[in-house]
Amino acid sequence: MENTRQITTIQAAAILVSTIIGVGVLPLPLFAVRAGDAGAPLVTFLGMLVGFIGLMLISLLGMRFPKQSFVQYSEAIIGKWLAAIGTLLLIAFFAILTSLAAREFGEVVVTSVLKNTPLEVTVIVMLLLAAVSTRNNLVTFSYIHLFYFPFLLGPALLIVALSLKNADVINLQPVWGNDQTHMLPGILTIAALFQGSFVMTIVIPGMCDPKKSMKASFIAMLIAGGMYVAIVIAAVGVFGSEEIKNLLWPTLELAKATSLPANILERLDAAFLAVWVTAVFTTLFSSYYLTIRFISNLFRLKDHNMFSFFLLPFVFIMAVIPQNILQMYEIIADVGRIGLFITVGYPAFLFIISLIRGKRGDRDGTQQTNPAS
Amino acid sequence: MRNGSGKSKSRVVTKASSPVLDAALDIPLTGTVEDTISTVLSILKEDGDFIVRRFHLFGQYNAVLFFYSTTADLATVNNHILKPLMHLPAHLEGRINELQQLRDIVFDDVLYHCGVKQENKLSELIACILRGDTAMVIDGVEESFSISTSNVEKRAIDQPATEQVIRGPREGFIELLEKNIALIRYRLPTPELRIHSMEIGRRSRSKVSVCYMDGVTNAELVNEVKRRLSQIDIDAVLDSGYLEQFIEDNHMTPFPQVQYTERPDKVVANLLEGRVAILVNGSPLALIVPTVFSQFYQTVEDYTERFLLMSAIRLARLVALVFSLVFPALYVSIISFNPELIPTEFAVAVAGGRAGVPFPAVVEVLIIEISMEVLREATIRLPQQVGGALSIVGVLVVGQAAVAAGFASPITVVIIALTTIGSFATPAYNAALALRLLRFPLIIIAGIFGLYGVVIGLILIVNHLLSLKSFGVPYLSPLVPGGFRGMKDLIIRSPLGLMKERPASLHTQDKVRVDADTSAEEQPKNVLDPSEFDPAKEGQ
Repeated sequence: MENTRQITTIQAAAILVSTIIGVGVLPLPLFAVRAGDAGAPLVTFLGMLVGFIGLMLISLLGMRFPKQSFVQYSEAIIGKWLAAIGTLLLIAFFAILTSLAAREFGEVVVTSVLKNTPLEVTVIVMLLLAAVSTRNNLVTFSYIHLFYFPFLLGPALLIVALSLKNADVINLQPVWGNDQTHMLPGILTIAALFQGSFVMTIVIPGMCDPKKSMKASFIAMLIAGGMYVAIVIAAVGVFGSEEIKNLLWPTLELAKATSLPANILERLDAAFLAVWVTAVFTTLFSSYYLTIRFISNLFRLKDHNMFSFFLLPFVFIMAVIPQNILQMYEIIADVGRIGLFITVGYPAFLFIISLIRGKRGDRDGTQQTNPAS
Repeated sequence: MRNGSGKSKSRVVTKASSPVLDAALDIPLTGTVEDTISTVLSILKEDGDFIVRRFHLFGQYNAVLFFYSTTADLATVNNHILKPLMHLPAHLEGRINELQQLRDIVFDDVLYHCGVKQENKLSELIACILRGDTAMVIDGVEESFSISTSNVEKRAIDQPATEQVIRGPREGFIELLEKNIALIRYRLPTPELRIHSMEIGRRSRSKVSVCYMDGVTNAELVNEVKRRLSQIDIDAVLDSGYLEQFIEDNHMTPFPQVQYTERPDKVVANLLEGRVAILVNGSPLALIVPTVFSQFYQTVEDYTERFLLMSAIRLARLVALVFSLVFPALYVSIISFNPELIPTEFAVAVAGGRAGVPFPAVVEVLIIEISMEVLREATIRLPQQVGGALSIVGVLVVGQAAVAAGFASPITVVIIALTTIGSFATPAYNAALALRLLRFPLIIIAGIFGLYGVVIGLILIVNHLLSLKSFGVPYLSPLVPGGFRGMKDLIIRSPLGLMKERPASLHTQDKVRVDADTSAEEQPKNVLDPSEFDPAKEGQ
């Protein structure tokens, strides 16, 4: 590759959006309603803000060290051994995140579409799909995300738009919810759904203009967060908060409740789920790619392809460990909240240390480009 | 000399794949007619059409002509070579003092054929004879003359059979390279058109021409095309398809990364976009590189007819393209996994149609699909006189009988028929073939996993497409690296005035192709507007 810096701002934003929007959308209204009743949209919005703080930290770090990968500059900031521990934690966390996403979607497919298929088969199919696709370079990675970007927004917006005719504003009031005491854990759970944005750390070194990474993050957060809020509003508006507490995947129920005008398709849920495979795929793809990229960075290898199948059995075994859906969602909630320490806390820690120690990676770069421009 | 060449021939025959010419490579010509005749005969043997014609140059010097009577134009040999050479024109009498002068006089004053070259190697003499030209050797003159007399029968230039248009030029390439280049040159009378010639194929020695526009095409691209071509070491190049398989980037993909066409106007249009065309002697199909996927559903007509209509037709073509890939798979997955998706009345009708069919939907679709492929292949092989009749019998009668016999449901036959017609709507045969092939794994995975499987299969195909490159150009550009300028010509065809620039992905040297900034006085005038027309001017 003669020129590896060719990811544009739009591509970076598309990567972020398609990574963030994934299987988490299906139970999202449930998480939000548990935390804030009618205030669910507000909870989602606050969760989005927390997620955005994490993404902002990553972008700031990336702009400070535009030429190095996350693993490299974390070593420069806090030293080799501490950084190795942090990287190992990240690798483990994203491997777990990959396996949980695959498991969650496997459960959805087995429960609602392929009722006779064993869970293991759907999980391994999704993981294989992600593993095969990771054997590409970063440019192809960004192409893949850009291509699927419209397939994510289209169906979700369609569902939201079609369901609004059944919605009732009264379900959304009061906007701040009835009880604010247990809002905080809910905000964190929803913020955890934005953790995929950590993929920005591997995107920034490949961007044509790393200075625009903040712009890309902002656009992406606006689209993904706006979409999350819209889905929560639609679900709460249609079902009401008490009803949603009885539904496992309110977004899927929303798809069931809506129908296309003129009855072209009698039901939308199976079609929605089919299109949603692409959204889940992009999320899995990103977290899987992130994991193997970090592994290869940790061992200072140029090629990451060898890890894509090496990792597969581990991820698969982790995916089948939870005994049932309920236990799986408990684990997802716990892992998500713990993960915030890794994906928001760790970059924040790195950023503060780098400020204190005055470490920068863009110094010589700016000195070279300034006289030229 | 004769013994020497014979020995070396038997020595090299196991090593090189063109031993005879290789052996004669460095042997100089001697300048004696009898020696040369025996050497040439030892190489070319006594073939029935090989003519060795001895004659007396200007009535006194021994000379000989070598040619194949089958490939040389005998009228040219008679009238333009033998006739002037046998009689010394009156004004040249007395000017020949020594033998070497003879060569210059023959070359400068006597032969009025423009394609004359002087050779001094035996191998070149042989190569010239094999090309269909005529070789002349004069006693005492060391150089031989090669006179281009090659004349191979060719078919007339007619309508391109595979790429017909309603509106647009009617000419198609033929097999002869020279004619094909002429068809390109008269459309592009510009000094920037470059035609670089090379020879590929150890035995076939096929002439290959690389055409590009100087100052438009990216110079690196031209070098890379030449480099890839020059690395080909093959026995014979019988068609441009042989070259395609050597220069493409990925050999293991069903998707073509090189476009072929038999339309000179299409080649010219692509040259002007900054692409490189490769023509081979003996093939009526030119190759165009680099190629992106969107080219496979664009036709010449898209640009000759007005943009609004052709945009609509291009959309229809795109629908056909997508349908030919996924339609049967969608049908299988909906019928066997999610019948609740389709409206109830229709679902009942489908179930009624399928009532007597003993197989699951996937098996039924596969059987009909495979028989359709067999039928299609048979229709191509059949003689034209019976082909049409038999395909009607095959499709109508067998299809109807299969339904009546309870072998297939009527809906299945409809689906397969639509799919097949859809795959014919794709202008590029090789791209349609790729989609046709990929339909089968999709049907099978739809039979196993339903809609979920179809999407998994499509994701695999799309990811593969996204990782493909043709000479470094991403295969799905301009859609995927996100070139908004290029998208004007992607799904719809914008007005020509709006497509001001050549495709950005080709990194051309000259970027602008349309200058649509018309100034005020160049605006169209309503000269015949009734309100402004001056009746006094009537009749002037």
